[in-house]
Amino acid sequence: MINELGHFTLVLAFVLSVLAGTLPLFALRRGWHGLAHLAVPATMLIAAFVFIAFAALISAFLASDFSLALVASHSHSAKPLIYKISGTWGNHEGSLLLWIVILALFGALLAMGGRGMAWALKIRTLAVQALISAGFLAFSLFTSNPFARLDPPPVDGRGLNPILQDPGLALHPPTLYLGYVGLSMAFAFAVAGLIEGRIDRDWARHMRPWVTAAWCALTIGIALGSWWAYYELGWGGWWFWDPVENASLMPWLAATALLHSTIVVEQRGTLKSWTVLLAILAFSLSLVGTFIVRSGLLTSVHSFASDPARGVFILGILMVAVGVPLLLFAVRGPQLVSRGDFNIISREGALILNNFLLTSATVVVLVGTFYPLGLEMVTGARITVGPPYFDATFNPIMGVLVAAMGIGPLLAWRRGTVPGTRRIITISGVITVVLGVAIAMATTAFASGISIAGIAGIGLLIWLGSAIIADITYRLKPAKAGVAARAARLPAPMIGMWTAHFGMVVFLAGAIGNGLFATEVVVRAMPGDVIDIAGRQMTLRTVEARQGPNYITETAVIELREDGRMLAVLTPEKRFYTAERQTTTEAAIRPRISGDDYAVLGDGTAETGYTLRLYRKPLVSWIWAGAGIMAIGGAVAGIARARRRPLSTRAARPADNAYDTGSTAENDDDAAQKAGV
Amino acid sequence: MQDRPSGRPLRASFLIPLVAFLVLAGFATAALMATLRGERDVSQLPSTMIGKAVPDVVLPRLDAEAGDVGPAQFAGAPLLVNVFASWCAPCRAEAPALAILEEDIRILGIAYKDKPADTRAFLQQYGNPFVAIGVDRDGAGGMALGVYGVPETFLLDADGTILLRHAGPIDRRVLEDILLPRIQELQ
Repeated sequence: MINELGHFTLVLAFVLSVLAGTLPLFALRRGWHGLAHLAVPATMLIAAFVFIAFAALISAFLASDFSLALVASHSHSAKPLIYKISGTWGNHEGSLLLWIVILALFGALLAMGGRGMAWALKIRTLAVQALISAGFLAFSLFTSNPFARLDPPPVDGRGLNPILQDPGLALHPPTLYLGYVGLSMAFAFAVAGLIEGRIDRDWARHMRPWVTAAWCALTIGIALGSWWAYYELGWGGWWFWDPVENASLMPWLAATALLHSTIVVEQRGTLKSWTVLLAILAFSLSLVGTFIVRSGLLTSVHSFASDPARGVFILGILMVAVGVPLLLFAVRGPQLVSRGDFNIISREGALILNNFLLTSATVVVLVGTFYPLGLEMVTGARITVGPPYFDATFNPIMGVLVAAMGIGPLLAWRRGTVPGTRRIITISGVITVVLGVAIAMATTAFASGISIAGIAGIGLLIWLGSAIIADITYRLKPAKAGVAARAARLPAPMIGMWTAHFGMVVFLAGAIGNGLFATEVVVRAMPGDVIDIAGRQMTLRTVEARQGPNYITETAVIELREDGRMLAVLTPEKRFYTAERQTTTEAAIRPRISGDDYAVLGDGTAETGYTLRLYRKPLVSWIWAGAGIMAIGGAVAGIARARRRPLSTRAARPADNAYDTGSTAENDDDAAQKAGV
Repeated sequence: MQDRPSGRPLRASFLIPLVAFLVLAGFATAALMATLRGERDVSQLPSTMIGKAVPDVVLPRLDAEAGDVGPAQFAGAPLLVNVFASWCAPCRAEAPALAILEEDIRILGIAYKDKPADTRAFLQQYGNPFVAIGVDRDGAGGMALGVYGVPETFLLDADGTILLRHAGPIDRRVLEDILLPRIQELQ
């Protein structure tokens, strides 16, 4: 009964989305404001229906209702509770429904909020959002119905892919989807703006919190995915340049660019058409990400959720969702007049450089991800380009970006440098050279020397770190008023910016520390053997069989010692999941700020000994900590803006808009009509 | 500061994103349709290398103390040369196929642009079907063989002549319909 209710509300949500996506746009054109305003309650109703459907699906998973095909093929009665819940989205149909739920949630948030936003823009944005919902609801209902029945129901389910039975997976898709779908809001704003033929500072002001939120969620989502791959795949790596990883990185890069270009639109009313294009592209890349994972077009370690037949539908959605806005952009884009009176050496100039580099990086990742596909079209060969390509292309671009990150925030809007900028640059430049040379010499003395790229990386890290600190110090410096008083007066967005940029420093420290100084030992060991790794000793005590809730294991007991002192007992496992008849490798990790000790158990028997892979990975957890700090920085800037909103609301109320004369809702419609909507 | 919806004409630069998208979308559509019809499949490359002697590639062995290794050392009997890397997802997919091939023919592995430690970890996880593995750190060996990427597989006869080149992972069809018959022919 609950299942039928879920299915039914999903159908209702679809019908309502089609109506809410079309009628308000039509009504606005005709000037029927009462009808157009129905977009607001309709959006809330869609959200309510979708939530009911999702709750129904979760309850089916909780109750292990194997009459649902989805539950039967992805769950098992003996599965722990948390994985019964997370199993809801550990499969194609469920994850799609989660996508739709978040989409509906964001729509409802805008419907309820959006205070101070021009009324017509809000209605149009909601309508575009409803159209996206309609597309995905159709996809769900017609190709991937989560409520499809099995008759007769099986006695027990087939279980969830064991590699996905993990707390990381419970969190990774929802956060990533928050980011992807958050970008749908930016997209809806962009399309609504194009339909109106008008993009202004107010538009950017109201879009920016959504971009910031999406960016924060994407940052955390990608970091969680990377962390999951680190401890679950047992490869000791944190990024594999896998197509699915790239699929999440591309929207992140585009969103990062969008985050910065939106600031330019909001502050200076310029870069409008570029920002609109970025908003469209960022969400398109999210869709492409979904497309890659779901369609089986690219070979990937994540191929657990692929099905070419569904790809056709996604491709259809993609064609409409990207093609139509780009057509709209081609027609309306030239009308977006931007003021261009700024010096190249200015905040605007720096942000344009930021956008140029981030876009280039996106293109590089796009090419690296799709080149194998293109090549396959031409020659039939199926290959990967892998890390060598990305090391040679992506890393240098990011290097330049990091170098620019040290200078950009010091520049003033419109013109040249602020006083003191030169001194900050000089100081951090000197620190970089001195420390960089010292570290290079030290590591050459201790280790077998490091590569040019490694030295460049360390140099960039120091450069950015010292530039941020120098900038903060400079702003606090004329200390007559007292440092604390000055610190309290620092604008929150600036603190957010520093925090996010500092997160980059921490991330780089992790990536470089782990990249340059990691130690790896692969041995075949008998119980009792002692293995030396990076000045520590690991003793294989025994390998024993253990029993988990729905799996049995082969568990190695390894003692980790430093100078005879016992640090920890590591217990890497090989798990055999009885229901799914699959084996997974569980690395044992002792994470510390200074670095991780990481052990993986390979094949072996008591007679021949066991293969062990042991790692010492300096600073590796800084990678994810850095991502976390970046997200916190984004949140600080975002919350600061939300707090400030009441002030700007007054200024931005349609009738007395400070920035755009004559932009009442009605006038918007007139203008839009003249533009030929 | 004000936007003027002044009905400006189309500008070429604003069409670029649309055109670029349509090209990409066309490619994706063609790929997807081919997948659905079952046509898009791994296949042999028409290569100028076929029928010629294998290039003289000499690489350090993965087990370092053992010196260098290259296809030339295995002359006298057929040889399969498999270019792979630990960072390559399709290479993981073809591991079972190589395990079957190992019983019929000697396989020389070339670890393309890969760190030896990573290669070892890869072999431990997915099995080692190779008689020897050459470490192709900078990709020069792969370049000499003319690979597009990884994985790629070459079948050589006893004289070291390239009989067949396969780009992409060896799946069941390639294994059973192409490689195994050709190898049986040779023996």
